[in-house]
Amino acid sequence: MSSRYALVAALVAVFAFFSVATTTFLTPGNLESILVNNFALLAIVSLGMTLAIAAGGIDLSVGTAIDIASLIFVSAVAAHVAMPLAVLGGLAGGLLVGAFNAGLIAGLRITPFLATLGTLFIGQSVQQLSTSGGQPIYLITGHVPPVFAFIGHGTVLGIPFAMIVVGGCAAIFATILGRSLFGRRVEALGAQPGVAWYSGLRVSRDTAWVYLLGSLVCAIAGILLSCTVRAYVPLSGNAYLLNAIGATFLGTTFSRVGRPNVAGTLLGVLLLNIVANGLLLIGWNFYWQQVGSGVLIFLVLVVSFGGGRARSTRAA
Amino acid sequence: MPDTVQSHIALPVDVAVPRSRAADTARTLVRAGSLLAFVAVFAAFAAAAPGFLSAGNLANVVGQSAVIGVLALGMTLVVVAGGNDVVRGGIDLSVANNLGLCAAVYATGLGAGWGDGAALAATALAGLLVGAVNAVSVVWLGILPLLATLAAMNVCAGLELVLTHNTVVAASSPLLDVLSGEYPAGVPVLGEVLLGVAALLAVVLHLTPAGLRLYAVGGHREAARAAGLPVASYVAASYLGSGLCAAVASVLSVALLSGSTTGSGDMLLAAVVTALLGVVFSRRLVATIPGTLLSALFIGILINGFQLLNISSYWVNGVQGVLILLVVAATSMLRPNAG
Repeated sequence: MSSRYALVAALVAVFAFFSVATTTFLTPGNLESILVNNFALLAIVSLGMTLAIAAGGIDLSVGTAIDIASLIFVSAVAAHVAMPLAVLGGLAGGLLVGAFNAGLIAGLRITPFLATLGTLFIGQSVQQLSTSGGQPIYLITGHVPPVFAFIGHGTVLGIPFAMIVVGGCAAIFATILGRSLFGRRVEALGAQPGVAWYSGLRVSRDTAWVYLLGSLVCAIAGILLSCTVRAYVPLSGNAYLLNAIGATFLGTTFSRVGRPNVAGTLLGVLLLNIVANGLLLIGWNFYWQQVGSGVLIFLVLVVSFGGGRARSTRAA
Repeated sequence: MPDTVQSHIALPVDVAVPRSRAADTARTLVRAGSLLAFVAVFAAFAAAAPGFLSAGNLANVVGQSAVIGVLALGMTLVVVAGGNDVVRGGIDLSVANNLGLCAAVYATGLGAGWGDGAALAATALAGLLVGAVNAVSVVWLGILPLLATLAAMNVCAGLELVLTHNTVVAASSPLLDVLSGEYPAGVPVLGEVLLGVAALLAVVLHLTPAGLRLYAVGGHREAARAAGLPVASYVAASYLGSGLCAAVASVLSVALLSGSTTGSGDMLLAAVVTALLGVVFSRRLVATIPGTLLSALFIGILINGFQLLNISSYWVNGVQGVLILLVVAATSMLRPNAG
């Protein structure tokens, strides 16, 4: 069996299993809830992670970009700033985090893991200091503009708004990574940074764009999140970090050459979401769910890395 | 006059440039600089915070650094054996949740009426088992360490919840009384354990042939293999060591908090930072046991000094973040051709 299809096979298997094992899994309501409530945000965040990992880096500060965007957006809405301006403010806040990362990684040549780890720590302090230790900012019902309900739960032609955002971002990222010149350079950076440098690619500039784009999608996720929960909850973005990394690497098994790719990442996110949802429905409590999804990720990794000595050394 | 441009191009791609005298000097400067920073922070707190320099307070700092310190020492083993490329080299993301799981095993074991011996054995077994799973998946299944240990981390977090139902499990035992006490008066036993573990690991890693071989395996795996070292066993041993350290740290944490608590996963990043920050305290800018110990104490001193000066503890993370960035920026500038 080609390891390339391990991810798809796992997806089909869990889907079939939960459809048979429960009466509630295969209902339109549940499937929509998986997509809108679980899939959308993680998918958006994972797109940025996919780009960073494709470029040979990693972004541990996705949570910081989500949180800062949410903080600025919600504070602005609470202060009766016009909605478009509040959204712009949120996006700018997220981009600021990306620009900080870009400066550290492309400018000071700090390795992405450590640079974004530093950003994550600094972001935690900034949030704690600006919310007196982590007090959430709730939007009082009267203050919430009607557009919130639309962004959080609305539909266009029957398609949930969040899914439209996911689709748009995914299409853009798939084009960038798979079909653009910039994407080719990013792949070169990730596969052979030394060769990319010697070939005269402007490594710093491309690296900077990778982290800026990543923080931009995180900011979008942060704003969507704020609209859904109608609040800014400090340090809540970190919850997406490990799942985004997991989904991206699960997705690499979908590529013939073991590289991060948008389609694979989306499948990875879907797998994580379906397993979490399905285990809940068959009556496993939250605790066993975590064990179950951990074991499942592990199995997919084992299958796709199976006999993968050669692959792992080639990647190194 | 030789063509300097050509000598650049002739360099093999992605192979370290031979050390030059200038780079050596710069390394010495960084090391001296970070030691100087340590001393400067120490002196600043000594001057500004009354009571900071008292023996009791300093002993407390060591005691409070014990849990993170032991955890970071285990991480150090993995970093040494795997090489310091954080994505593809050695890293163990499961340490913090392994600690949580071990603490849960220990506390529930004691709660079920087991003696200290049986509970300790079960705890050590749990830690080693997690280490063994990591070792198998990294060494024999060829999964990237970052991913393999990420999956193990999730499983540990889940198993901990299954054991504790996300509540605090109080625990007490004669051993815990000893560990949370002070012997001789004024010296926290936890701190002594940290120093003891560090001393033991330092001897193994820096004074025995096995330790030198571990560095060889991490430094250049192919060369180590060509020299006939059993590379797989060394890497596997480092994960087992890390798992055992997590088990030891879990007992310390149960002693410190009088039980197993939730949220131990939050310690992961602190442990990673401590192990990586320690690099600047070594002459060749590699992970070492004394370096990790110093960096654990350094962070302990920062937290303690901030408390004494009544500075909000919310600053601690930020200062830690800035420190990492400073340290890493300094070290990466020494690496020629970082592009």
